[in-house]
Amino acid sequence: MKRRAFIRAGCACGAALLPALTRAQEWQPPPRFTRPEVASDEGGLWAMMDREETRLRRSPFNLRDPQLRSYVQDMACRLGGEHCPDIRVHLVRTPYFNASMAPNGMMQVWSGLMLRVDNEAQLAAVLGHEIGHYLSRHSVERLRDAKSRAAFSSFIGMFGLVGALGQLGMMAGMFAYSRDHERDADRVGVMLMSKSGYNAAEASKVWANLLAETKARPGGAQENAFFATHPAQEEREATLAELARAYPGGDANEKAWQQKTAPFLREWLGDEVRRGQHEESLVLLTRALGRGSQQTEYLYARGEVYRLRGAQGDLESSLADFKAAAALGGEPPQTHRGLGLVHRARKELPDAKASFQRYLELEPQAPDALMIKTYLEELT
Amino acid sequence: MRIVLIALAAVLAGCTSVAKMETGDQTVGGRLAIHLAGPWNHVSGPGIGPAQTWTMEGLPVDQLLIYAGIKDGETIHQPDNSGKRKNFSFRADMQTEDVVAMFEGMLTRDGSVFKLVKLEPMSFGGQKGFRFEFSVTRKIDSVQLSGIGFGTVSKGELFAMLYAAPQLGFFGRHQGSVEQMARSAKLKM
Repeated sequence: MKRRAFIRAGCACGAALLPALTRAQEWQPPPRFTRPEVASDEGGLWAMMDREETRLRRSPFNLRDPQLRSYVQDMACRLGGEHCPDIRVHLVRTPYFNASMAPNGMMQVWSGLMLRVDNEAQLAAVLGHEIGHYLSRHSVERLRDAKSRAAFSSFIGMFGLVGALGQLGMMAGMFAYSRDHERDADRVGVMLMSKSGYNAAEASKVWANLLAETKARPGGAQENAFFATHPAQEEREATLAELARAYPGGDANEKAWQQKTAPFLREWLGDEVRRGQHEESLVLLTRALGRGSQQTEYLYARGEVYRLRGAQGDLESSLADFKAAAALGGEPPQTHRGLGLVHRARKELPDAKASFQRYLELEPQAPDALMIKTYLEELT
Repeated sequence: MRIVLIALAAVLAGCTSVAKMETGDQTVGGRLAIHLAGPWNHVSGPGIGPAQTWTMEGLPVDQLLIYAGIKDGETIHQPDNSGKRKNFSFRADMQTEDVVAMFEGMLTRDGSVFKLVKLEPMSFGGQKGFRFEFSVTRKIDSVQLSGIGFGTVSKGELFAMLYAAPQLGFFGRHQGSVEQMARSAKLKM
């Protein structure tokens, strides 16, 4: 009995010490990097990324808004610590969830990611992860690994079927190596988040939200874990939640994030709707509506997604969202075009006419004004 | 490596063919008759369709897609079976705006940016139809494209033409020819 109590006490004590031990084994960031020799493999990689950055600076996809850029740059600086002067953030208008960081310090943050995070802390989780790759110099390690595997793979490829199987194994090994890097970057990212005053518990929510979207996509839940370069989203969510327990406290800064991104929301939502991934968009927009801010924009966007999907019951859902957006006020003028099109499809002609008229009142120079006028003539 | 590249080029050359479309009357897919004021190039091969793909300058510089009778539920481009990218399909109950949104979705599947410049009614193929103008910033190389589209939905089938080319030089050079072709279009039921 005494022995059992002792073991129980020992376990309890161990569990209590675990977060402290995890923190004690904290990884320390390296000092600032110096530019590598041009002739080295790393120097070549930097030169390639420098060219890519020059191209990105000129790209029409580069979001050049100085306020938003400096806001995200400041976040990256807080996370990067003494590496701040070497990190250059570029915001890119692309409606997919992505961010990346090159070994020369160029960081790309896509608008699809910014649309999907609920607060600053969630964006910090992704930025911290990318900075984790940068500080651990994973790109260079991957380049060297790929080169050595390629050389060995060419050699074993000469041995017929056995060689081909070996090559397949080499490829799988490369992906597994990449997954290990992702796990490392997640761990470093959570640590950097916490050191910068962010709530580390928000990190796992990024993946939980993304997982909910992926699962909604037809056939989206099927992923090949063997060859995936990233750990499965479920695994990441669980691991990040576990890691965050060692770093309690911190802020999410939801209000600040919503305010800073409000001027871009309409454009990003338009890009999201155009993606045509209706099921994913519905999950995203319904979640965003739950936050309670910018309701009009999200209601209009969700109404458009329902209208464009056109499945059974979607016209009714679309109508409800458009009406709710219009009732709140400040709605995009296209809300009334949407209402007009839904009423027209439902043969509710007086309502269709009133909605089209309202659309043209609000947006007389709309690109589709001539088409809408034709509808009005038909409805008269 | 050189041998692999040569073999690959040979395979690709064997798979894709370019045929000259002569001046005069042509019928696309047996369903859409058009009159050509000058010759065009018809590119065919695996990975192309269901639209006929024509070009003046060569792909991917300029591209004219001609849809001759797309049926309800049919995808308007080569489908992606990985589930990572949305496949855009025509629905017979689509209104004009929905058809344009469908083309918009197809043209921005790679993250390109689309902007509708104008959408207006126009007779196409002898039916009540529409005409639209657009611009696209292509993701892969940031090239600014201009484009025009024409279409009609007849008996639940989509007939349409979609032309896009770089804004600088190429689009203006061939726009007139495409507009003339669209005006000459007649449906063959």
